[in-house]
Amino acid sequence: MFKKILIANDGSEGAKKALKTAIDLADKYNAELHSISVEEGVPHYAATIGEVEEYRREANGFFHTINDEAAEEAKKAGITLHVKVQAGHEVETIVNYAKEGNFDLLVIGFMGHSKIFGRVWGSTSQNITKLSPCTVIVVK
Amino acid sequence: MENQWFQAALWMGLALVATLLSVRIAISIALLEIMVGVIGGNYLPLERTEWVNFLAGVGSILLTFLAGAEVDPVVLKNKFKESMTIGVLSFLAPFLCVMAYAYYVAGWSLPESQIAGIALSTTSVAVIYSVMIESGYNQTELGKIIIAATFITDLGTVLALGILFANYNWHMLGFILVMGVVLFFLPKFTPWFFRKVGSRISEPETKFIFLVLFGLGALAVMAKSEAVLPAYLVGMVLAPFFLVNKTLSHRMRVTAFTMLTPFYFLKAGSLVKLSAVWSSALLIGVFLLIKVVAKFIGIWPTMEIFRFTKKENMYTTLLMSTGLTFGSISALFGLTNGIINQEQYTILLTAVILSAVVPTIIAQKWFQPEMKK
Repeated sequence: MFKKILIANDGSEGAKKALKTAIDLADKYNAELHSISVEEGVPHYAATIGEVEEYRREANGFFHTINDEAAEEAKKAGITLHVKVQAGHEVETIVNYAKEGNFDLLVIGFMGHSKIFGRVWGSTSQNITKLSPCTVIVVK
Repeated sequence: MENQWFQAALWMGLALVATLLSVRIAISIALLEIMVGVIGGNYLPLERTEWVNFLAGVGSILLTFLAGAEVDPVVLKNKFKESMTIGVLSFLAPFLCVMAYAYYVAGWSLPESQIAGIALSTTSVAVIYSVMIESGYNQTELGKIIIAATFITDLGTVLALGILFANYNWHMLGFILVMGVVLFFLPKFTPWFFRKVGSRISEPETKFIFLVLFGLGALAVMAKSEAVLPAYLVGMVLAPFFLVNKTLSHRMRVTAFTMLTPFYFLKAGSLVKLSAVWSSALLIGVFLLIKVVAKFIGIWPTMEIFRFTKKENMYTTLLMSTGLTFGSISALFGLTNGIINQEQYTILLTAVILSAVVPTIIAQKWFQPEMKK
């Protein structure tokens, strides 16, 4: 049923649960498994390129570690995980990446904001679910 | 006598607040330091002591050096014709238009108008870069042309600042000669010297760069020029070396962002008179509008010649209308040297800050073109 699965990995507990589900589904349907991690805090209106680069250096170090761990976990199930790190807004970047890559399933962990923020704007998972071009599984 | 530790704590406290805000809301530390500085200058007993002025001065020199050291010679060389044409026009058109408006319509004197023209002629390579990183545009041909053109525009700004207000005498001749010799030998001498001394906790490499910047800065001041001019040029000639040596670049940024640039940006903000922002809101808006329109006049026809699409033209022009670092340096230069008054400084700095934000939002929201690698 699913041929190309995307998991959004921000290194959180929710994302770890989502990864487990995604690996399980990729194994079951013999599907390709990809992950996207979003560098969300790129400083806007910077004074030097260096400020942006320093942020990316720190973020890349973090994502490098979590992607290595994720790839290792997928490998144990005999699955190759294709990883991608991209800067941008979390919801917009994940949705666009899913669109451009023609994914047929997006697996995300439950990413909650504070109650007040969530009520006003909707949580990240809600917004991704609303805007995603394909089926979404939110793992809790 | 001032309590220097109280002042130091106040300045550093504001720098920390700006840093924490920056981490929280993903807005650059520079912009937030200016904002926090505005509050400090208007509502807190923030003093601009001699040592604050010194640290802020070193901050601006180091900031300019770092900006120069980010100029990628490969990008510049590969797209020389396009980037040179767009870059020069992107500097000249707003410089002349803003200067003309300030002189003929707003009634500013010629030197005041020149400062206005320089401050609003700039383009912020870093603002553009952070936008492009998020869209992936930095990898496209158009993205590379825009970034390269921005380096040229910045060079125009720094040259204008260093040349327009200088004294043309023996000091100037000496400054040009010494700077020429230093810039010629520096790219060869620096890697050799750094290999010899090695990387140590006492930072001989950083001290060497400071020595060169301060030495040339001293000669620039003697010639009534500006220390940021040699700083940018030194950065440019050392850029190939610094782009490869990431660790050294990182250490210099840490030095700059911890103790030097906070004083510069906080000071730039603290000199803003909030009352002048309200009373001159119309002029600020007009200056911003002229800057953007002039960038269109300069860049749009050029982009048409190079056969870019309308959406690409619009996106490029709006991004080239952004400004921050060199705009604030130019305005502060004018105020520090008594060329403009605090009200005019407030008008220019506010227009500069708005130019970092407004065109960026419009470009991202409505004119982001399709990716063409």
